[in-house]
Amino acid sequence: MRPLLRAPGMSALLVCAALLAVWEIAARLYGNPGLPTAFAALCELPRIFADPQAAFDILDSLRRMVIGFALALVVAAPIGLLMGRSPVAEALMNPLLMVVYPIPKAALMPLIMLWLGVGDASKILVVFLGVSLPLLYHSYQGARAVEEKMLWSAAAMGMNGAQRMFRIVLPAALPEILTGCRTGIVMGLITMITSEMISRQTGAGNILFNAMDMAQYETVYAMIIVIGALGILLDVCFEAVRARLTKWADKDADTTVAAL
Amino acid sequence: MNKSRRIPAIIGAIPIVLILAAWQGLAMSGRVSESQLPSLYAVALRFLEQMASPAFLADAGVTLFRLFVGFFIALVLGIGLGLAAARSRFGAAVIVPLVRVLGPLPKVALYPAFILLLGFDHASKVALVVADATFPILLATLHGASTVEPKLVWSALAAGTPRSRIVTSIVLPAAMPSILTGCRIGLVISCVVVFLAEMITSTDGLGHQLVIASRSFITVDMFVALIAISLLGLVLNFLLGRARKFFLRGFPEES
Repeated sequence: MRPLLRAPGMSALLVCAALLAVWEIAARLYGNPGLPTAFAALCELPRIFADPQAAFDILDSLRRMVIGFALALVVAAPIGLLMGRSPVAEALMNPLLMVVYPIPKAALMPLIMLWLGVGDASKILVVFLGVSLPLLYHSYQGARAVEEKMLWSAAAMGMNGAQRMFRIVLPAALPEILTGCRTGIVMGLITMITSEMISRQTGAGNILFNAMDMAQYETVYAMIIVIGALGILLDVCFEAVRARLTKWADKDADTTVAAL
Repeated sequence: MNKSRRIPAIIGAIPIVLILAAWQGLAMSGRVSESQLPSLYAVALRFLEQMASPAFLADAGVTLFRLFVGFFIALVLGIGLGLAAARSRFGAAVIVPLVRVLGPLPKVALYPAFILLLGFDHASKVALVVADATFPILLATLHGASTVEPKLVWSALAAGTPRSRIVTSIVLPAAMPSILTGCRIGLVISCVVVFLAEMITSTDGLGHQLVIASRSFITVDMFVALIAISLLGLVLNFLLGRARKFFLRGFPEES
């Protein structure tokens, strides 16, 4: 039993099973049409996946999120790194970030729709905005914490500024950037769902909220399961990538935590 | 430290001023209509006007009420569960996987379920705030409480502190910096989430103001609602920063 419990992902699966069981029992006790049983919602899943329109919608959501995320990575991470290394960039950007930080990005959707229409561009922009800030912040923190000695040595060995940025700062800040990416994934999902809820054309958020309006409660809960599974799946995949990319850093991190 | 001191802080105003100038320039150039981008002046005027309007303030009050109720429930839950996970093996075995599964789930997707279960009133919005704000506080508490130096706990035990009081008199204060950081994240998230929930279904609150303005294409009012919620977030964030300074006096300052 022990080794089985220790298997990776086992505890997560157990938790999922437990949550479904609690839901099932609560639904049976509650007996409210607003809370169908977990079983009924799970039965709805094959229907959603068999419907080509629904499958297309979910893929469409993912496509927009990936584009928005990639754009944020390309734009926000370099700005963050620059802020971490250059005091001028830091002084320039910090107040702006402080002001922008509490603006609800997903709530900008109605406004952006006025400018860019209801199509893909608005939704991608909202995802981009939502993902950018955590990415920028973590890249900034990562670049700031790079050991000065490494940079001095690199400079002494004849690396110029750009080389130092790519060969020293970027790898050294990578673990922190990836932490930002992980927060970014969650933010991306939230903004994705919200943007589709506000401008309903395609997408997972569209199915969810349309089903809600048409009182198809089994579909509502099935879509919640789908979206939740998507979030967990993306998180697990990303964690695997992160563990590979920063194998060298994790040991360091552990020893510093132990040393604290 | 020395390096940053040579740069005057005032240059931080440059990007903000540039953006505002670009906005005003674009609005005045006549290339965009008033309903696409109202001028900065019009927005500022309308904002001041709304600040004096009891109806608008009442909406802001409703938003604040939901925000605080949700945030305080999240605070209690987050700190309680975080401490439980850090201090007991059983707690860790249950709570850590639960957080790993529920953490990355986009909570907005749960909102329809909250509406169905709790109705359209305050409860569903508060529930969404709780669902979203608990996790950062919980994670921060867990992190803070599990990195408390064991020596501190041992010394306290050796000095005769009863086991039941270890958590309140050693672990909690030692984890305070981390917890307060989590609170800050949680508070801004609460602000954003309560606004989103009000946008989705509501009959009052700042989010509802935005939706009404957007349905009737009164762009000025959309800006005003967005500015109001952002200012609220900014002010709360600032106040919590102050509270943090107050609670952490005597702690070695960390970055």
